[in-house]
Amino acid sequence: MAMKPVVLAVAFTLPLLAACGGNNQRLVNNDEYGDYRGSVARNRPRGADAGLVIFGVDKNREAREAAAAGTGLSVNAFLWRATLDTLSFMPLASADPFGGTIITDWYSPPGAGAERFRAQAYVLGRQLRSDGVRVQVFRQTLDRGQWLDSPVSTATNSELEDKVLARARELRSQSAAR
Amino acid sequence: MRKILLGTTAVVGAALLAPAAPAFAQEAPTVRIGGFFRAYYGYTQQSGRNSTTPYTLATNTSGASSNLQQQANGAVESTGGTARLSKNDFSTDGEVHVFVNGKTANGLTYGAVIEIAFNQQEGRNIVQQRASTGKTTASIDEWYAFIASPTWGQIRFGDEDGPVGGLMNSGVITNFGTGGIYGDRESFVTRQANTRTTTSPGGLGDNTKIIYLSPQFFGFDFGASFAFNYNEGEDTGCSSNASSGWCDTAYAFTGAANFGIAAAGPNQAVRRNEYQAALRWRGSLAGVGLSVTGGYVGAGAAKELSAITNAQRSVFQPLGVWQVGAQATAYGLTVGAQYEYGTSNFFWGNPMKGDRPMEQIFAGASYTVGPFTIGGNYQFQTVEGASRTSYSYNGAGNLVTTPNAAGAALMRRFGYGIGGNYRLAPGLDIVAEWSKFTVAERGRDLDPQRAGVQDRGTANVFILGTRLAF
Repeated sequence: MAMKPVVLAVAFTLPLLAACGGNNQRLVNNDEYGDYRGSVARNRPRGADAGLVIFGVDKNREAREAAAAGTGLSVNAFLWRATLDTLSFMPLASADPFGGTIITDWYSPPGAGAERFRAQAYVLGRQLRSDGVRVQVFRQTLDRGQWLDSPVSTATNSELEDKVLARARELRSQSAAR
Repeated sequence: MRKILLGTTAVVGAALLAPAAPAFAQEAPTVRIGGFFRAYYGYTQQSGRNSTTPYTLATNTSGASSNLQQQANGAVESTGGTARLSKNDFSTDGEVHVFVNGKTANGLTYGAVIEIAFNQQEGRNIVQQRASTGKTTASIDEWYAFIASPTWGQIRFGDEDGPVGGLMNSGVITNFGTGGIYGDRESFVTRQANTRTTTSPGGLGDNTKIIYLSPQFFGFDFGASFAFNYNEGEDTGCSSNASSGWCDTAYAFTGAANFGIAAAGPNQAVRRNEYQAALRWRGSLAGVGLSVTGGYVGAGAAKELSAITNAQRSVFQPLGVWQVGAQATAYGLTVGAQYEYGTSNFFWGNPMKGDRPMEQIFAGASYTVGPFTIGGNYQFQTVEGASRTSYSYNGAGNLVTTPNAAGAALMRRFGYGIGGNYRLAPGLDIVAEWSKFTVAERGRDLDPQRAGVQDRGTANVFILGTRLAF
């Protein structure tokens, strides 16, 4: 019984220590713990997937179907869709879901007469994260019948990125609610 | 430009007004059905594999010591009512698991696991003439709820193995065949001489407990658990006002000295206030994956209660076992070993007062290449023998101690398993395994049907079959 105080002390101090892990800390996944049925080791076979999902989103199936249909996006679907939505007010020149690039054509907003804009967006990966999208806006002004490159405020790029991220977040929460 | 953007993406603008929370997306709970099914052929060579007593009704009402046949030296060997048992058998088993998983908007994951098993009854159990339960009656293996956060770890609450009892062990290599010496061999071994492996980590039991599992930080994670007693499920087990061993909150009950060693069904074990703690480190050095675990399990014990004098007497030692294990993995090869020492009997039960401590080593290795995995493991244990101190009541209701018989021997329990599996398809395995387990105790007759003292009982089991996880 002399063990008890030691174990109790450990039980209370270790969780506090755990909070100091910082970047070296992560949640241990459920499949990293052993599994027994009575005295018998229950080996988790390799290669088993999510199985039969009764309610909710079957992510394995989504991935499978996307792969089978050959339309598998190599970039995050929410970011991709959100970028398309956000830039849809401009005419699209090219969109490559595998490379993750969207390039618009020149567009002159009504009433802006002597200036036109063009945007390039890159969706950078499969994960929905805030640095997963880059937007670059180009601007030209009409000077004596010639379009000349003009500077764009750097804030414009990041504001557009913010809008893409906000849209992605909205799309994500819509799909989770389904 | 800005004006236009705001105009054309008004919906996006609206989304921006939403409170700025961390980028976790709430996920509605998913409910998933999983589990396994396996069917095996087994060939068993077991010493004393005979039926011994002709019986009319189920006889499994007395303690495990009656399975451990004891016969004094020189006693007449019984000859009546015995018949050989077949060596061949098929065995099927399965479990259906329900997994509920969800995620809250602030990143907390939560859920529950309910595992429905069909192997609770070792044989068909006839209570009265027509009141019986089938051998494949459904029961619960493990069920628990969990809530987990990347910051503070995970809490599991329910019937589940503990950190020392299966969750966080290192060095217990069982990822081949059916698990080698800790595999499905017991499906084919009869109770004669109890040639069964009884001290695998999972044998510690999935009694109802609350478990804390920490996040991993700098390669370390730890776990701790607490359980009030050895019971599981909903009720107290106290179905009458008699103080019985079935009553999981009883501090003392009559017959504890006989039945309290996890004997006639685990629910009568005297284990009380069980706590477990384990610390694990995992990392890799020069491409070799390493895992090391140290842990301790401790528990008190219920007392023996005299039915006449109402005196309570402590007859058990507290359970207290240290455990340390390590394993290394590289290029598909895994080797590991585990050592355990402390007060325990051969069934993770509290030992009687005066009993010697339990000591056990385990070693194993496995090799995986492509769809093939092969491996072997070995276990050796020394523990108090059956000639331990015993207790009985005299006519006046006083507990009488019969100390260890002179020359009381230590019991050795050891065995090995070798096996392999072939992955036919994801989740589907063909398995083959050979295992051998021996119980040996000098001077004790483990096979009363054979002339002379057979102080060694062995069961060899060959298994060939298939296992499907879904």
